[in-house]
Amino acid sequence: MANARALDKRRKSIRNIRKITRTMELIATARYKKAMDRAAAATAYTEQITKIVSRLADAGLDVQHPLLEQREKINTTRVLVLASNRGLCGGYNASILRTALPRIKSLRESIPNVIIDASGKRGVNGLKFRGIDTEQQFLQFEDQPAYDDVEKIAEGYLAEYITGKIDRLDVVYTKFISTSKQEAVIETLLPLGSLADESDSESAGSDDTNAEYEFLPSAESILEEVVPTSFKVKLFKCFLDAAVSEQVARMIAMKGATESAGDMIKQLSMTYNRARQSQITGEIMEIIGGVEALEG
Amino acid sequence: MSIRCVVVTPERTELDREADFVALPMFDGELGVQRGRAPMIGRLGYGVLRLQTVSGPERYFVDGGFAQVEDDVVNVLTGRAIPVDLLDNDEATKTLAEALDMPSSTPEQAQIKDAAVRRARGQLRASR
Repeated sequence: MANARALDKRRKSIRNIRKITRTMELIATARYKKAMDRAAAATAYTEQITKIVSRLADAGLDVQHPLLEQREKINTTRVLVLASNRGLCGGYNASILRTALPRIKSLRESIPNVIIDASGKRGVNGLKFRGIDTEQQFLQFEDQPAYDDVEKIAEGYLAEYITGKIDRLDVVYTKFISTSKQEAVIETLLPLGSLADESDSESAGSDDTNAEYEFLPSAESILEEVVPTSFKVKLFKCFLDAAVSEQVARMIAMKGATESAGDMIKQLSMTYNRARQSQITGEIMEIIGGVEALEG
Repeated sequence: MSIRCVVVTPERTELDREADFVALPMFDGELGVQRGRAPMIGRLGYGVLRLQTVSGPERYFVDGGFAQVEDDVVNVLTGRAIPVDLLDNDEATKTLAEALDMPSSTPEQAQIKDAAVRRARGQLRASR
């Protein structure tokens, strides 16, 4: 039987760790709620953009823009990997890297120039460990990515794409589907496949207001602006989704940790009590033996 | 006799209130909107959005985007909407200098530079 004192010590340390994981779970829950609210706020914007696009389409404008067109020859491509700055969030970073690596490998085989950017320390280090160097690192994103920061990155990409320095941009991020499901996905943001999300465009198209719209200064000019904006918002949405998913992953991981710490404490308490009991029994037996020896 | 003005940025709904009169900083000049305006979609430039509300005038710097007017509701979609009081003149001057320093050797680069300069000028004007 193990030493009772050692068991007690271990139980104490597990209790301390449980306190920490429990707190982390609570913090993650709070942050998740906040991040979720932000993501919800962003949908108001995307909905409006979708509305404008559908109005433009209704006006009979042929939606064409350099950012929408697939380039024939792709010489340089960028991959942006969105991971987290911190660990202790279960399989979040691992699944991102697991999704990103095969894509990077296959791109490297077919395209001469593949540049990798990463957001989050975990992403940068994880890629480095696997022998992939990142060109740009973004470490400033926590649970509430600011649109200003994302816009700067987006503008950098847009400028590179327009000037022909890159021909394609892939983003690897964790898509938030529901609280119980998040999925690491790869999306090609440049060239933009379509302006509106497929799910949104149907709902926006169905409301039929027959208003005749005036376009100022012209529909073409508006389109010129809509396309880059919708790219920026899409990229921002990726960051928001990644932030929400990270908090969910952390919440679940910490919940699991707290629970298993509880189980462990239960198990250890039982062993400890047994050890203590047998120690006491042993001591009593010794005393009785001593008394009997004196009497005899 | 008022119209509703809603300013939405990707981060949140910045503003949602009733106003008597809204002046939008359009791409090619200012456009005033009053009750009963015909529906329109317009491209915004970099300038000051003015609202005439019951409690007094309000001014916001908007950073490009779109405006949609329909049923006496003005929807403004922009990347940023900052109350004019919070703008920093020195910072705006610096941004303009940076924008003017950008390279413009190809048409694409010139276009990017042009947009940056226009935005910086708008910000500078608004901050005064």
